[in-house]
Amino acid sequence: MGRMIHSATHALRRVLAVALFACGVAAAAAPVSEYQLKAVFLFNFAQFVEWPAAALPRDNAPFVIGVVGKDPFGASLDEVLRGENINRHPLAVERYPSAAAIGDCQILFIPAAEIGHLDAILSALKGKSTLTVTDADNPAVRGVIIDLVKRDNRIRLRIDLQAARAGNLTISSKLLRPAEIVGAGS
Amino acid sequence: MTAVARPIRRTLMMVILLTCGAVMVITSGAFFAYQYLTFRQLTLRNLEILGKAIAANSTAALAFDNPDDAREALSAFKAQPHVRAARLYLNDGRLIASYPDGAGEPRAAAPLQDGYRFEDGLLLGVQPVVQGERRMGTLYLEADLGEISRNVELLLAIGAAFLLISCVAAYLISQRMQRVVSGPILTLAATAQRISEQRDYAVRAERPDGHEFGQLTDAFNHMLTRIQGDQTKLQTQLSRLGLLHRITRATGERHDLPSVFRVVIRTLEGDLPLDFGCMCVFEPSAEALTVSVIGAGSAAFAPALTLAEGEQVAIDANGLARCVAGELVYEPDTRTIRFPFPQRFARAGLHALVIAPLLVEKRVFGVLVAARRAADSFSSADCEFLRQLSEHVALASHQAQLYSALQRAYDDLRQSQQAIMQQERLRALGQMASGIAHDINNAISPVALYTESLLEREPGLSERARGYLATIQTAIEDVAETVARMREFYRPREAELVLARVRCNHLIEQVINLTRARWSDQPQQRGLVIQLQTELAPDLPDIMGSEVEIRDALTNLIFNAVDAMPEGGTLTLRTRMLAGGGSGADATRQVCVEVADTGIGMDDETRRRCLEPFYTTKGERGTGLGLAMVYGMVQRHSAELEIDSAVGQGTTVRLVFAAADALTFEAVRNVRMLQPAQRLRILLVDDDPLLIKSLRDILEQDGHAVTAADGGQKGIDAFRAALTGGTPFSVVITDLGMPYVDGRKVAASVKEAAAQTPVILLTGWGKRLLAENDIPPHVDRVLSKPPRLVEVRAALTELSSAARTPVAILAGPT
Repeated sequence: MGRMIHSATHALRRVLAVALFACGVAAAAAPVSEYQLKAVFLFNFAQFVEWPAAALPRDNAPFVIGVVGKDPFGASLDEVLRGENINRHPLAVERYPSAAAIGDCQILFIPAAEIGHLDAILSALKGKSTLTVTDADNPAVRGVIIDLVKRDNRIRLRIDLQAARAGNLTISSKLLRPAEIVGAGS
Repeated sequence: MTAVARPIRRTLMMVILLTCGAVMVITSGAFFAYQYLTFRQLTLRNLEILGKAIAANSTAALAFDNPDDAREALSAFKAQPHVRAARLYLNDGRLIASYPDGAGEPRAAAPLQDGYRFEDGLLLGVQPVVQGERRMGTLYLEADLGEISRNVELLLAIGAAFLLISCVAAYLISQRMQRVVSGPILTLAATAQRISEQRDYAVRAERPDGHEFGQLTDAFNHMLTRIQGDQTKLQTQLSRLGLLHRITRATGERHDLPSVFRVVIRTLEGDLPLDFGCMCVFEPSAEALTVSVIGAGSAAFAPALTLAEGEQVAIDANGLARCVAGELVYEPDTRTIRFPFPQRFARAGLHALVIAPLLVEKRVFGVLVAARRAADSFSSADCEFLRQLSEHVALASHQAQLYSALQRAYDDLRQSQQAIMQQERLRALGQMASGIAHDINNAISPVALYTESLLEREPGLSERARGYLATIQTAIEDVAETVARMREFYRPREAELVLARVRCNHLIEQVINLTRARWSDQPQQRGLVIQLQTELAPDLPDIMGSEVEIRDALTNLIFNAVDAMPEGGTLTLRTRMLAGGGSGADATRQVCVEVADTGIGMDDETRRRCLEPFYTTKGERGTGLGLAMVYGMVQRHSAELEIDSAVGQGTTVRLVFAAADALTFEAVRNVRMLQPAQRLRILLVDDDPLLIKSLRDILEQDGHAVTAADGGQKGIDAFRAALTGGTPFSVVITDLGMPYVDGRKVAASVKEAAAQTPVILLTGWGKRLLAENDIPPHVDRVLSKPPRLVEVRAALTELSSAARTPVAILAGPT
């Protein structure tokens, strides 16, 4: 664990602190808040997905996680991402009030409440390699690459491979294995 | 054999088996260790690979908090039964999944270090779960070592089986191969065993093919040959030593040379052995060897060798000369030696010859000759033995010689002691006899004087009376001589020998008469008969000698002859003439007088010693002087004495005198016829009235005027009175031994008063004085008693004519 501490970044320590806290909460029968967990998930997705080179930020440009519409995370997303980096790119959270406001981002979280604006959002993202994530938990929703699904009080993934392919993103098989896959045959 | 065999076989096999076993155990151990370590490492590696793979599959599960996925990932361990437990922890230490399901702690008990290691008999692995650069969590693994143990067991089983098979194989091979090594050794050991059991050093070990074993066996056999040789030598030496010992002992018991030689040769013939053996004595003066003893077993060769005991062998230049110089000579083959002595042996068929010198104090006194038929048959040990033996024999012989010399010296010493004792006795006897003789001489003096006077002056006597008187005269003369000799036993008498013509035949007749009692009367009393034969040669020449001594000698010889015939016999007296030793004009005639008997004779010892003084075979009856006196007489007469005698054959004693020529007899006759030319005034001094009377009568008959003085002092007085009275004496005859004033003083006084007056000393000791050259001063002539008329007249005539005393002419009878 010492070595882990050595290699751990500031953010990870924070994650760990949160996790411990969560554990403590869990031990106290108080579950970790859902969005805290989803924030960690967002961050972790960066580990399992490969973006095309053009889609990645240039030089010291930050790796951007965007949230469209009303931000359900509150402060937790910033807390999770503070001090973290992906491939030496600092992480940045950008909040887009509407689909039209959506700028360049590598990951875009679409809260369940914004699903009504999905088409606009998707069209805004058309031609861009953006990993779209929602927590709509609706099998009918199409075009979003990862849907965070709640099962047995746990968050599971539903991955739309068609959408991923369309976004020119390669998703690690590790991520795919436990996930519910849609759009594979098409 | 088995006692020696088993250990060496067992040892060899043990060596082989232990070597094989040790090599295999070490090899197997190394292999096993290598296998074990490799296997551990392999197991570790396997687990690491497994852990990494599982960890890689678990990243998503950890990243997205998916226990199901995590469990699924862990379920892959089912294929690895040795993995006992596997757990996935989140970074915060929370357990997300475990294998098998539900096992393990919800949280990591302690912070674990990354890596794989063996701990507490388990293989532990802590594998970080990393996605990209991010650590997602930790995979904890626990595997048992069962597989390693099984592998170890398998290895051990294989190793044990391998070891067993190897040992069996090694055993079988070694059992076959050890024979190559142990076989020859066992053969050698068996040979050694047999030798030590049978003590037979002629046994030899069989030679195997192997080079070193062959060498060993050769060395062993060589050693056996040496031992055999040494043993043979040792036994020979021992037997030689025994032989030497026997000979030394045998010789030590003997003290005379021939018997020492004989025992040496006999022992050598039997035990060395020899075909021929003899001992010779070296005579340096003759430059020859005298064969002393030839062995009894060698006698057969003696004729062929022309050797006999007592025979002389000339010393030839080769062997004998070297041997006599002190060298041991060995001729291996006499046929090749061109010298007479070895040639004799070669001809006799004796081809090997050893001549060993008998050395005492570096002087060779004899040689030992040993010979054998076969040529070259004396070994160096034989020669050495003979050399040593000859030293021993020489020593023994030397001792024998010393012993006999000692014996002789002892005998001589004893004889000398006896002689001295005898002489001492005789000296005492002689002194006594001297006194007696003086008296006897005085006593018989008148008899002698009157007898001589009667025979001369009484022509009217009958023949018978004249014969008697002649016998009396002879007897008186003999008495005087005997008495004289009686006291002279212990002194030489050469000086007193007066040679006169002696008619031997006449003498023998006298002796026969004198000794008649002895050879006739005494034996007849004992009933014995001794026949007397006389073989007297007619016309025998006279001899020059002392009639009395010769008569005594013949008397003694007759006595001895009679004593030698205790059973009676024949006594022969023989005279004859011998041609003599010289030739031509120088030829001397010799007269031989023999006394022979037919008695008991003498043995060699007696024959050899019979002439020694005091040697007698007659015990207390004999003085041991008879033949000694005869021998003395013979020497004084320059005559020869021969004795022929053999035990039981009788004895013949032969006296050989030189014959006298005719002239000497006439001279003596003239002396006898001498008559006094003058009448003399004679003073006669003696203390013996009988002698005075008889001598006075005789002298007065011759026409002399005799004045007698009774004692020395009276004689001196009478002489002085006559001198002063103008009628001096022309001659003084005085006795020597008189009380108070003896003859010497009388003579001194006479010479003092009238120096030219002759003094005649008349003495019973006269012969002694003459013998001792002890004629007192002032004495002109010494005459012994009893005085012979002839001698008295001669002395008076001679002295008076020399003195030419005018007084004598004037003197007339008183």
